[in-house]
Amino acid sequence: MYDLIVVGAGPGGYEAAAHAARMGKKVALIEKERLGGTCLNVGCIPAKTFLRSSKLFHECREAAAYGVRLGSVEFDMPAVVERKNRVVKTLTKGVEGMLKRAGVESLQGQARLIGRNAVQVGDRRYEASHILIATGSRPAVPPIPGIRSGSVFDSDTVFTLDHLPREVAIIGGGYIGLEFACFFHEAGAKVAVYEMLPQIAAGSDTEISSRMLQILKRQGVEFHLSAKVLAVEGDTIHYAGADGAKASATADCILNATGRTPSVAGLGLEDIGVDFGPRGIRTSEQGKTNVAGIWACGDVTGRRMLAHAATREGIVAVNNMFGHKDRIRYRAIPAVIYTHPEVASVGWTEEELKQAGVEYRKSVVPMAVAGRFLVEHEDPAGMVKVLAGARFHEILGVHAIGDGSSEFIVAAAVMVETEMCVADASEIVFPHPTVSEALREAILGVH
Amino acid sequence: MAVSVEVPKLGNTVEECLIAKWRKQPGDPVSEGEIVADIETDKATFEVTSPANGTLLARFFDEGTLAPVFANLFVVGEPGENVDSFRPPGAPERSAPPAEAKPAAAAAASARAETPVAAAAPAGQMSPRARRFAERHGLTWSGMPMPAGSGPGGRILEDDLRQQYYSSPRVSSAARMRLADGAVLGGEGSGAAGMFLASDAGAPARRISGIREKIALRMRESLASTAQYTLTASANAGGLLLVRAKIKASTGVPDININDLVTFCTIQALLEAPDLNAEFRDGTIHRHADVHIGFACDTPRGLMVPVVRNAHRLSAGELSLRMKELTAKAVQGNISVDDLSGATFTVSNLGSLGIESFTPLLNPPQVAILGVNAIQLKAVRRNAGIEFIDSIGLSLTLDHQVIDGAPGARFLKVIREKIENVEKLCTI
Repeated sequence: MYDLIVVGAGPGGYEAAAHAARMGKKVALIEKERLGGTCLNVGCIPAKTFLRSSKLFHECREAAAYGVRLGSVEFDMPAVVERKNRVVKTLTKGVEGMLKRAGVESLQGQARLIGRNAVQVGDRRYEASHILIATGSRPAVPPIPGIRSGSVFDSDTVFTLDHLPREVAIIGGGYIGLEFACFFHEAGAKVAVYEMLPQIAAGSDTEISSRMLQILKRQGVEFHLSAKVLAVEGDTIHYAGADGAKASATADCILNATGRTPSVAGLGLEDIGVDFGPRGIRTSEQGKTNVAGIWACGDVTGRRMLAHAATREGIVAVNNMFGHKDRIRYRAIPAVIYTHPEVASVGWTEEELKQAGVEYRKSVVPMAVAGRFLVEHEDPAGMVKVLAGARFHEILGVHAIGDGSSEFIVAAAVMVETEMCVADASEIVFPHPTVSEALREAILGVH
Repeated sequence: MAVSVEVPKLGNTVEECLIAKWRKQPGDPVSEGEIVADIETDKATFEVTSPANGTLLARFFDEGTLAPVFANLFVVGEPGENVDSFRPPGAPERSAPPAEAKPAAAAAASARAETPVAAAAPAGQMSPRARRFAERHGLTWSGMPMPAGSGPGGRILEDDLRQQYYSSPRVSSAARMRLADGAVLGGEGSGAAGMFLASDAGAPARRISGIREKIALRMRESLASTAQYTLTASANAGGLLLVRAKIKASTGVPDININDLVTFCTIQALLEAPDLNAEFRDGTIHRHADVHIGFACDTPRGLMVPVVRNAHRLSAGELSLRMKELTAKAVQGNISVDDLSGATFTVSNLGSLGIESFTPLLNPPQVAILGVNAIQLKAVRRNAGIEFIDSIGLSLTLDHQVIDGAPGARFLKVIREKIENVEKLCTI
């Protein structure tokens, strides 16, 4: 009998398991594939190692602008994949060691819930006072004829590419599609993105996503907005453009990046009456499902679908199941798109404020107000936007585009989380010269 | 022979004490063991006594100031003795205190308008050291309970505040501003580590509007000055629905709704029951031959009761039109006082909001008010079987001072008959 069984060893599950074990609980962690889940194996980490390589390649080709002359530069895809595998292995080992030190028992296999306190793995049955479902998500497959064919990659299979394609067609202009667009483009491929909505990076502050569109277009990425992909046939993609006119394009790599679907199948949720829908398992802000003793965190709940949100949700669930009151607040969870330039944001977007009828003030400054940003970029494109309440000037949202923003957004998250007002935040000293000074300037610009 | 008294060291970590109060003035006679000064650390207050009989010759620190431990605090001796050799370095050469010693912290607090500490904590409840801590850390208690004081008589000491400051949830800046705005924090904070966020502050208490105040007064008067009770019955609504359907199907006829029809039927009933179309004032019943019908109307400013004068002279269509005019005026807020007074009977409809039964409150001096409820299916026994009919609920509130149950019930029966025969009463 365990105190807790965690199903799924991604950043939601493994952190929660370790947290509970450190509290002195008897914990088992069940994983059917690989430790680390999507994030470590086919998500955040591999994508970022790819992007690191493509950025370096791109910078080498631009080096002359910074006074550095290089000979010929090549992008070595197999070496990039090899490095990615090495990084993933190091981090996976790290998680393994961490779980061992915390005292979590790791089990391999497909878990099926057979009661509110019991889980079946293979022919063995395990019992626990609490079960935390952290099975994550898988790439969504929209109803487009031909999209299931072997020639279409998704964000799982794309990491198996052993060579760099010449032309890449990406279906979906959300953060996954954009990061791969950036990677393939920088690595030297010709990239076209097909997005159903009239804007890219849906959910982002529109001013930021428009800016991003402008920058990526200037870099040479092709965008088809309000475009509906009708079918995929071999290496051909058929679509209807914004004007409704049908067209086709070919690419030697087609990537389905249309989002992610919560992994709820095969868990036996129906049998024990756990409430879930196409958007995932429904949970309270404590991580509870409708069935006592069964909890859920991460992508499978369909809430924020971010690794760090999953981790926090898992820890919140563990705290609550063992008597420590805790709740998740989604308002101050930062989000980053690791394109070049990066996009980082936290809190309300301007569209959300308008829709909710919240009166606000806004301040937008170019990233180039920070000397460091100018130092780092020959083409200093980027901006920081701060949204604050009209009455008290409490900081409601911060949205930035520009490299370096992913590292300073946590400061903005603290401001949003603790409802700092502009006057308080103005007393905080930002190190000089850093890109973060753009945030300071934007805050000071709120009147 | 003059003797000096040092500031005692009241704890291992105590380096200085605050002079809370001088009990003696220089020149006052003091006897051995008599309290001369109250001093405080962050945790406790302490009385310093005279070691000998004599005269208080000098005090080296003012009230509200901090004195280092082991520094000479005061000197007791014979009048005229020189005290200079006792004077601690840095202490002012002044033995006479300011006539009205004012705690320095309080003075500072009043100088800083944005720190309403002094106002939040009356002097005496909070030690000067605590006051200083509160001021330096921007602690205010508007809308929140003060920490329990551990000092004598519940006096709040610095340590109490320190405990509270470092152990209790913080209040975010935005929440603090909302507090200053009159909002009140309750329960627990929903932010990180229990931080109180702006969303945890309830809306500030707000004075009700003039019209609301008037409604409140009238409702209280209604309950206080009458003996009201409610009778509930229902009528077959088949006729109402039929007429309504006919209206909807026809063109060029006024859009009379169910409420208009019920009001129209009520007016017809009142013509047959003058006891209920009446006012009761000072022991006198005033019956009215004319029906001025008031109808409750939900407006953005609250409940209003516009009045259709001489409603008995109007056809259903005319009544409906007049009610719509008055409703529009009431909602827009440009209805005249004349159109809001003089009713002899009132109708209130909550049926359109799905209410199945309620207790309308009388508008004194009127003696009755009819509540109109939702139309629901009702099972009735008919011939050999059960049949479902559409049925409208009626809630009649009466003043028992002048209308007993039986006449009230009889009147309700008349209204029911009118409603059930509405097709004959109003021709479309």
